[in-house]
Amino acid sequence: MTTMKKAAAALAVVAATLAAPALAFAQEFEKISGKATEEVPAGPFVGIAYSFIWIALLAYVVSVARGVVRVKSELRELRAKLDAADKR
Amino acid sequence: MRALGVAFVAAILVAAVGFLFVPSMILAAPIEPVMGFVQKIFYFHVPCASMMFLSTFTCAAGSMAYLFKGSERGDRLAAAAGELGVLFGACTLVTGPLWGRKAWGVYWQWDARLTTSLLLFLILIGYMLARRYGGPGGRKLSAALALFAAVDVPLVYKSVDFWRTVHPQTTVVPKLDPHMRPAFWSSMLLITLVWSVLLTVRARLEGARAELATLKLDVEDLLEARS
Repeated sequence: MTTMKKAAAALAVVAATLAAPALAFAQEFEKISGKATEEVPAGPFVGIAYSFIWIALLAYVVSVARGVVRVKSELRELRAKLDAADKR
Repeated sequence: MRALGVAFVAAILVAAVGFLFVPSMILAAPIEPVMGFVQKIFYFHVPCASMMFLSTFTCAAGSMAYLFKGSERGDRLAAAAGELGVLFGACTLVTGPLWGRKAWGVYWQWDARLTTSLLLFLILIGYMLARRYGGPGGRKLSAALALFAAVDVPLVYKSVDFWRTVHPQTTVVPKLDPHMRPAFWSSMLLITLVWSVLLTVRARLEGARAELATLKLDVEDLLEARS
């Protein structure tokens, strides 16, 4: 590769590097007119936070209740087994 | 025993009334001038974080009793507290980022308070996994993990003082506006009450499961002996 070709390649790389942000800027960002403000409404965040807590607690209570029901049913099974053995 | 039952029912009733009453107190509390309405998350976020800490300490205390004295009761208490630690940890780690999105502009920052809290939550999940899938030595392994979790709690609490973070400082609660205090402390009381009720019920369930397992073995032995 001659010196001229190397220099041209280096220039092309530099040009591409410099052009890329400019291209991105042109494609993705727009200038706004007037005062720059960003308003994120707080209501949905507060609502989601409280809902999550109540749902999580409720789900946990349900899972514990299911555990209690399972223990009770297993106890009934055991009692039935014992009764059946007594009758024999 | 009967007094305990009455106290338990009373706690459930108070918690039920609290769930109706406390949200209205929170809504009536003054709006914070810098953060605005999203600051209302604070009234439940901080109590949930406190319950995560309390659960971790209870889990560690029960685990120590099991590790060093062989206390089965301690182990059952640790199992119940470990689960509650995960439950309230999840509530803390979900409500915090929702607040952060509005207050800081992002849901998550890898700052000291948030990272150490996540670490504590992951250790508690590790505790539950080791307990459930750890095989014969799983209970001892999980008990050791609970001690590591307890060491992380002071680190989480003091992280905002040790390092520069975006999270509010530990002075927020002591310096709380007098008009915000009734809502905050009512919420703290309610969540603590709910935590106590859940811990009692869950520990009793763990006890019932252990008794059932022993009973099953006894019945099988008895039936075999008869046949």
